[in-house]
Amino acid sequence: MKQQIYLLLLTGVLLNACSLDEKPYGFYSGDNFYQSDEDAESGLMYAYNALNYLEYLRGIWYVGDIPTDNMYPKSDEPGDIHMLENWTVTSNTELTHYYYKYCYIGINRANAVIKKISGGNFTPAVRNRVVGEAHFLRAWNYFNLVRTFGICPITTEPISSLEQTTAPLAGSILQIYELIINDCLKAEELLQVKRDFGRTDKVAAEALLAKVYLHLASSKHYQAPGYKNLPIDAEEYYAKAALYARKVVNDYPDVYGFDNNLRHIYDVYAPDGPEHIFIMATDRSGTHEGMYTKIPLQFLPNNSSVPIFIKYPDGSLQQGNGNGWGVFLINDDFVEGAYLATDKRRTELLHRSIFDQNGNEILPSPVRGYFTSKYVDPDFIGERTSARPYLIRWSDIALVLAEAAGPTEGYPLVNRIRGRAGIGDLTPGMDLETFRTAVINERKLELAFEGNRLFDLRRTAKVTSTVQEASRLSEEDAAFYPIPQREVDLNPNVPNSQNNF
Amino acid sequence: MNRIILRALLPLILMANAQLSLQGQTHLAKGTVLDTDGSPMIGVAVSVVGTGVGDVTDIDGHFSVKAAPGATIRFEFLGYENSEVKYNGADTDLTIQMNPSFETLADVVVVGYGAVKKSDLTGSVASVKMDALADITAPSVDGLLQGRAAGLQVINSSQDPGAGSTIRIRGNSSINGSNSPLVVVNGFPLGDAGALTQINTADIASIEVLKDASASAIYGSRGANGVILVTTKQADEGRTNVIVKHQTIISQLSDPIDIWYDPMLMAQVTNEEMVNAGLNPLYIGQSIGGIYYPSLQEIQSGAWSNTDWAKLCLRTPITNSTTVSLNSATSRSSLNANLNYYNDQGIYKKDEYGRFNANIGYSYKILKNLTLSTYNVFSISDRNVMNGLEYGRNPLWPVYNEDGSYYLAGPTDFGHPLVRLRDFKDHIKVREILASASLDWEIIKGLKLHTQFDYRYKTSVEDLYEARTISQDAHDNNGIAKINNSEYNELLSETYLTWNQTFAKIHNISLMAGHSYTWNLSRGLYTTARGFVNDILGNENMNASDPALRQIYNDGYAESKLLSFYGRANYSLMDRYLLTFTMRADGSTKFGKNNKWGYFPSGAISWKMHKEDWMRAAPWISEWKWRVSYGISGNQGINPYQTLDRYGMEKFWYNNNWTTVIGPGFEEGRTGANDRYFVWGGIMNPDLKWETTAQTDAGLDLAFLDSRLRLTADFYYKETYNLLREKYLPLSSSYDKIWVNDGRVLNTGFELTLGGDIISTRDWHFSAELIWSMNRNKVMNLGDAISSGLSQDELNGFYYEVTGPAIAMFNQNASILAEGKPMNIFYGYQVNGIIQEDENPGFIDPAGLLDRPGELKYVDQDGDYAITSRDRVIIGDPNPDFTASLNLRVSWKQLSLSVFLFGVYGNDVLYNGYTYSPRVKAKRWTPDTPSNLFPSLNSIRQDHLSDYFIQDGSFLRIQNVNLAYDWQIGKKWLKSIRFFAAIDNLYTFTRFDGYDPEVGLDGIYWGGYPKFRKYSFGIDIQF
Repeated sequence: MKQQIYLLLLTGVLLNACSLDEKPYGFYSGDNFYQSDEDAESGLMYAYNALNYLEYLRGIWYVGDIPTDNMYPKSDEPGDIHMLENWTVTSNTELTHYYYKYCYIGINRANAVIKKISGGNFTPAVRNRVVGEAHFLRAWNYFNLVRTFGICPITTEPISSLEQTTAPLAGSILQIYELIINDCLKAEELLQVKRDFGRTDKVAAEALLAKVYLHLASSKHYQAPGYKNLPIDAEEYYAKAALYARKVVNDYPDVYGFDNNLRHIYDVYAPDGPEHIFIMATDRSGTHEGMYTKIPLQFLPNNSSVPIFIKYPDGSLQQGNGNGWGVFLINDDFVEGAYLATDKRRTELLHRSIFDQNGNEILPSPVRGYFTSKYVDPDFIGERTSARPYLIRWSDIALVLAEAAGPTEGYPLVNRIRGRAGIGDLTPGMDLETFRTAVINERKLELAFEGNRLFDLRRTAKVTSTVQEASRLSEEDAAFYPIPQREVDLNPNVPNSQNNF
Repeated sequence: MNRIILRALLPLILMANAQLSLQGQTHLAKGTVLDTDGSPMIGVAVSVVGTGVGDVTDIDGHFSVKAAPGATIRFEFLGYENSEVKYNGADTDLTIQMNPSFETLADVVVVGYGAVKKSDLTGSVASVKMDALADITAPSVDGLLQGRAAGLQVINSSQDPGAGSTIRIRGNSSINGSNSPLVVVNGFPLGDAGALTQINTADIASIEVLKDASASAIYGSRGANGVILVTTKQADEGRTNVIVKHQTIISQLSDPIDIWYDPMLMAQVTNEEMVNAGLNPLYIGQSIGGIYYPSLQEIQSGAWSNTDWAKLCLRTPITNSTTVSLNSATSRSSLNANLNYYNDQGIYKKDEYGRFNANIGYSYKILKNLTLSTYNVFSISDRNVMNGLEYGRNPLWPVYNEDGSYYLAGPTDFGHPLVRLRDFKDHIKVREILASASLDWEIIKGLKLHTQFDYRYKTSVEDLYEARTISQDAHDNNGIAKINNSEYNELLSETYLTWNQTFAKIHNISLMAGHSYTWNLSRGLYTTARGFVNDILGNENMNASDPALRQIYNDGYAESKLLSFYGRANYSLMDRYLLTFTMRADGSTKFGKNNKWGYFPSGAISWKMHKEDWMRAAPWISEWKWRVSYGISGNQGINPYQTLDRYGMEKFWYNNNWTTVIGPGFEEGRTGANDRYFVWGGIMNPDLKWETTAQTDAGLDLAFLDSRLRLTADFYYKETYNLLREKYLPLSSSYDKIWVNDGRVLNTGFELTLGGDIISTRDWHFSAELIWSMNRNKVMNLGDAISSGLSQDELNGFYYEVTGPAIAMFNQNASILAEGKPMNIFYGYQVNGIIQEDENPGFIDPAGLLDRPGELKYVDQDGDYAITSRDRVIIGDPNPDFTASLNLRVSWKQLSLSVFLFGVYGNDVLYNGYTYSPRVKAKRWTPDTPSNLFPSLNSIRQDHLSDYFIQDGSFLRIQNVNLAYDWQIGKKWLKSIRFFAAIDNLYTFTRFDGYDPEVGLDGIYWGGYPKFRKYSFGIDIQF
């Protein structure tokens, strides 16, 4: 009888042996994605897409311009934006928290592409391009991180387990720069010269490399906190910055170059203009923010939802959203003090009044301060616009070259940009130091409200002497924002003694 | 026991117990069955053992069956000991006397994968007597169980037609997982209790509630919340019965509706609350937003109507339930078929639920040791949703314009109930099939094999159309149409062996070992269209919509598998010392790949002390049994795919087209103002596993005086750990949260059931049963404070997180989970009356609003003379101190009366919207009529959650009173007729100010409409 029992038990056990592995259904996962060339492209563009999230996108101005001498938020804007304006950012500031978070979201997406596509079975040309752009994007995000927060955690692998979620802190700021530089070099090696709206190529990698080298060189040169003790030679890095900037400025005249028409640079219908080495891909036909942007609403004044018109010196009118929020207001001092009265960058791009469709000024004016027309989409749909952040411009790199290489090579470049703005040449005969200061001043005027100013101030150690709200701080305090509290609390590798105000 | 009621149920309860044997020549055996007092017994089942031949005694106790000489004739009647006589073949009338058995200790109780004699139970199992529930009609079986078993908490907080119940066994133990017990019908686990609508309540033979780990751990990773086993009826050998049962219920509101009955008072109060807010009064004869508000004089003049909106919106709901059943059995086969039609009207006009259930059970003895059985259910339900009609609409507004069209107060008035009744459509149809086939094979004596295959298919279609008159969205987008489909599939294969043997007369061993495999798949397709030319077709043709405004979602696909092995060993020594061990191993696809298998052991010992020789000195003790058990069970709690990495999808503008882009990071939710920020999930945790519950139970079963007095007491200590929770991650991980196992919840409790047959004479019977349960619930640990994102109470330092729904009135969540405190406690400010004129409120409000006379006097806990978030304290606990029920039954001859009382004590209820209630507004504080109970009116006041809104939710309800008459006819073609009338919710004793304090487990009262008082009438005919 016992035998029978065993036999029956065994039968029962053998019945229905089944696999307990879970197979994904209806969603993509590491198991079923990154199989084809199309997957590779799609995965790469997912990494680009990280830049589009509003937390990161608006960070361009929250971090790059609001804390500086050129812009301030409207007084009744809710939230933490005033902490940036007033230089009271803490580890709990929401906007820097999200900016930090999205840098890493972009990094993780790029890491996933680098890891999965480098090793897989893809067409070599596709692989090189996709992996090259992913390296570029990783460098781009780390460059934003290191300039904003200083030493921060480093991850170079896609994170897919709990153990990986507490990344080690970089040993030094230079370790992060080495990662960025290596990524840019890798991108330059893998990529071709190919203009492709919304994406990047070899030239973008060289342009970023030039910016990175310049940031290191000038930070060392101006003894910026966090950089002054680095074991690097500023001149050597100026030379490297010049080397790559020169390639960008000179080597690809058929693809990228100087745009003679100032307003054409900011034409929402000309994202393929010669200046645009890297510009964000958005379109007003999207269904949610990120696909389209609301950048114009941040700048334009509110006209009770009646579309406004901007009047240019030539009398032409351009339509803009009438439902703007007017959050980003441009300092009167900056407009009236920094620009010459005839500077087209003032007369054509900065405004204080709005008009109706017949060109009559709307009165009483709802305008609360100067606003810029760098971001206007005349064919907006409600709040949806195609306005795009200008991520890397040819003129930016031309000014990098001028600053890095000095007067001989620099004068013609700066003067060309000034000429486009309708103002005269720089005083000739400046020595290197004076010339560099003049170039940085030109950057302030040319690249205003494009997310550059804070970094130019930090790398020249001039935050506290330039920005009135930061004048009570030391340059050390102003050099980096504190790492967000969530990271400090949850990542044991990040010490709690981050620089606080 | 109440013999009269039992007689009606007799054929349903008897056990078929025949064995096949060859019969010789037969004679007609005749006789009379008598009770102990010599009176004839009607309805006694008479069967000739082993033949399938049988009869039922008539009104004079007579019977006659064909039987061979030497055959054994058996007599069975519930509540009586079985009796058997050997038929000698003589023609003389037999006289059989039957002896009552007060408590049927020999009753068999169904447990997981088997059945045991009730006296041999080692675990804590409550059997619910279905006879007490026979006359109650409820949309689902679970709702009937309120107060019927100790430790079982049933909350019927919704009165919508067809609504289910909330069911808990021994408290809440999970935060993110399910807390509902597992329901198993005829061995088929159907999932969470609370909506068991597909089983006809009239078809249920017994319900067992498995409470402790020894009983429920055999269900392994699904057993942590306890198990409810439902067994349906089987036909009795040798008889054919046709039963027709009908019941009609008429429901009435037990409390007047809290609306404005006097428009003048409403207008005055409204003006006052606006003036107090510093605004212009409303009712001064002005138009705002296209709506005209007459002045008080105009209202006084009677020129404005006083519309009774409630009358236009509501009705007297009627519920009907009709069942026809047929059961018939021979020695080889048995059939049990039921048809039930159930129609439940809601209080709102057109709000309705209808259901048709058919079930067929059939079993056939293929060989003398091999039986094939099948059980099938087909259920169709149809729900027409028409709730939320505005019965509290402004009574000044007329129903019609002068031209006969509906009067709308303005262009954005979408609240006219008659317009909604006409133009709104929401219809849900559910079809469900349960099919089950099983084989029982007695391989050799004592060794049995059971194999079962079950299939369940459920599909639901919802049709919805909002015409442009129904909402702003529908108006702006020219109609909203939806068709939502979902389906659910489940397949179960189960095989187990049982073996039973007695050695040396004192050792009894029974072993069970088995294996099961379950496969689940659910999916859905949801479509929405907008932009219709007109409202004529509604959602009938979605293609008539604007192509740009169509949306399709097909999420909700979930597949899971569960592979299990289980076993149980019972050992009893001299029928005094009982041991039980159970073990289950569950392998689930839902668990992480490092934890695919979970093991759930349990053990119990029991001592029948009354069987000891030294207890013979106390013959009045019929039972004295100790039980102790310990075991581990689990809660799967996880949704499928939580242990996989999950990629996100976005659209990226490339090459002048939107390209779908894919990669790591999945949008799990939104956060922040206007939900603008994404919450990123999708990171896998391969270590994820089930929540584990370890439970210790100590129990005592006592019975005295031939079991006329019975007591069962249980104490339990139930700790759930490895709670499934979301943990925050460092930002540099690029993810916000990950699911982990972290945290602990403790439930301890005491349960008591005391029952007695107090009077038992020939004509009179009186029995009573008291059930008393208390549970203490405590959140022990919520995981690491920082990574779990916990907040800290600034006064007392405890860590907590908010839970439950946000309450719009307070613009915040009311409930928290706090370490060291019961679950779902209320957290807010303390109020000490109302600030009176010239009184120092004890704090200063910088805005100068909250510290004025007539406002609530908040308590400044930290003494900084300001009311800040630091002044919040725990202000209430929705968990009751205890619940109790008392069931009284008295019968005289064939007339019986039962009264059922149910009470809950010591729980707090949050009265959401208290100060908006017209009843409360009318009693407001004013300088002339100061009050310390009701604040002044202020239309723009921001309310803060305080104990002012917390009320005592204790109540005692006369839940059910039932009067029944059993008319025993005893004719061949008409056996009996039973008439009954009952009142549900006859009266509720409570201090609660709202309609009814029976609210959900979170203790939040949402208003709604008053509780029904239900009058029901029924008839039950047996042919």
